[in-house]
Amino acid sequence: MSSPSDADVIRRSLGVPEAFGMIYDRHAATLLRFLGRRAGARVAEGLLGDLFRIAFERRTTFDPSRASALPWLYGIGGNLLAKHRRAEARWLRAGARVAAGEATDGRVSAAALDARLLFPRVADAIEALPDDEREALLLFAWEELSYQSMADALQVPIGTVRSRLNRARARLRELIEPNGKDKVKAR
Amino acid sequence: MKPVDLARKLRREAAFDPAALERGKAVLMAAIRQAVEPRRRPTVVPQVPYADIRAALAFLERAFGFREISTARFVSADGELLHATVEVGDSLIGVGGQGHHGAISPLSGGAESQFISVQVDDIDAHYQRAVAAGARIANELRDHSWGERTYWALDLEGHRWRFGQQMGEVPR
Repeated sequence: MSSPSDADVIRRSLGVPEAFGMIYDRHAATLLRFLGRRAGARVAEGLLGDLFRIAFERRTTFDPSRASALPWLYGIGGNLLAKHRRAEARWLRAGARVAAGEATDGRVSAAALDARLLFPRVADAIEALPDDEREALLLFAWEELSYQSMADALQVPIGTVRSRLNRARARLRELIEPNGKDKVKAR
Repeated sequence: MKPVDLARKLRREAAFDPAALERGKAVLMAAIRQAVEPRRRPTVVPQVPYADIRAALAFLERAFGFREISTARFVSADGELLHATVEVGDSLIGVGGQGHHGAISPLSGGAESQFISVQVDDIDAHYQRAVAAGARIANELRDHSWGERTYWALDLEGHRWRFGQQMGEVPR
């Protein structure tokens, strides 16, 4: 016997609220890692319970034609992160320093120096994106969601997801390489 | 390198407290329980009159840890706070204006005719908190022959509160 889909579980939780605990057991670890990648452990741990509490309270709004609740939960998580933009920016900059450190790895070559300069600029560029474009970019690049899942998470049509992603790419290219030349190479 | 690949390089995993998942689940299950069984109303609710309700609420929270139920406020049409309710463990206490319903604050009455006895989990911490908040201690912390540890305090307007914790077995 196959286990019930998320949609089945959520439908059941309308009559038997405790059933919603299974949604937590299935997805909490994934959402905790998502929140952590975005804003660090402390913010993530603080938001995790709220995310699922809000999901529970809004469970009637879940689209039952979707088998998995994961994109819907990503959407709720993304909204919660909106109040923690400063923690996000700090975490992103710290990530840039780590990436630069890994790329240079103690070497003093020209490429290593370039990397040290490059990653903080990538962080700044991501930071400078409009919220909806940054959200799309990070769901795609970090969470590796499909276009369909992103559309479900952001509650917009797939076409909108594509155009946000394209705009984000173009803006990043511009912000990272202001004079349009590919003079900075990362390794 | 392409923009998306560059962005990928900044992806960084956080290191979590191993208990984080458990704590998150507790938050969810508490919300679920509340949905399943709405708040039970205690049979008896003491109503305590004050000359200044707002000051009393702030003090009761700061000194004794009584939390106001913000949705239970009664406010008059011109914005005057008439009555509030605070939560104390599984009990409720009403905080109202004096003069209504014939009850007055010791501040104007000059004497208390009752006191309220409250059981707490950590009497020493509770005592420290009350002292730090400026509560007047009427009877210092002490242990009783029946195994209870208590102290007595007066609030801003002179209402008398008795706080106790049963420390061990009740001797027979």
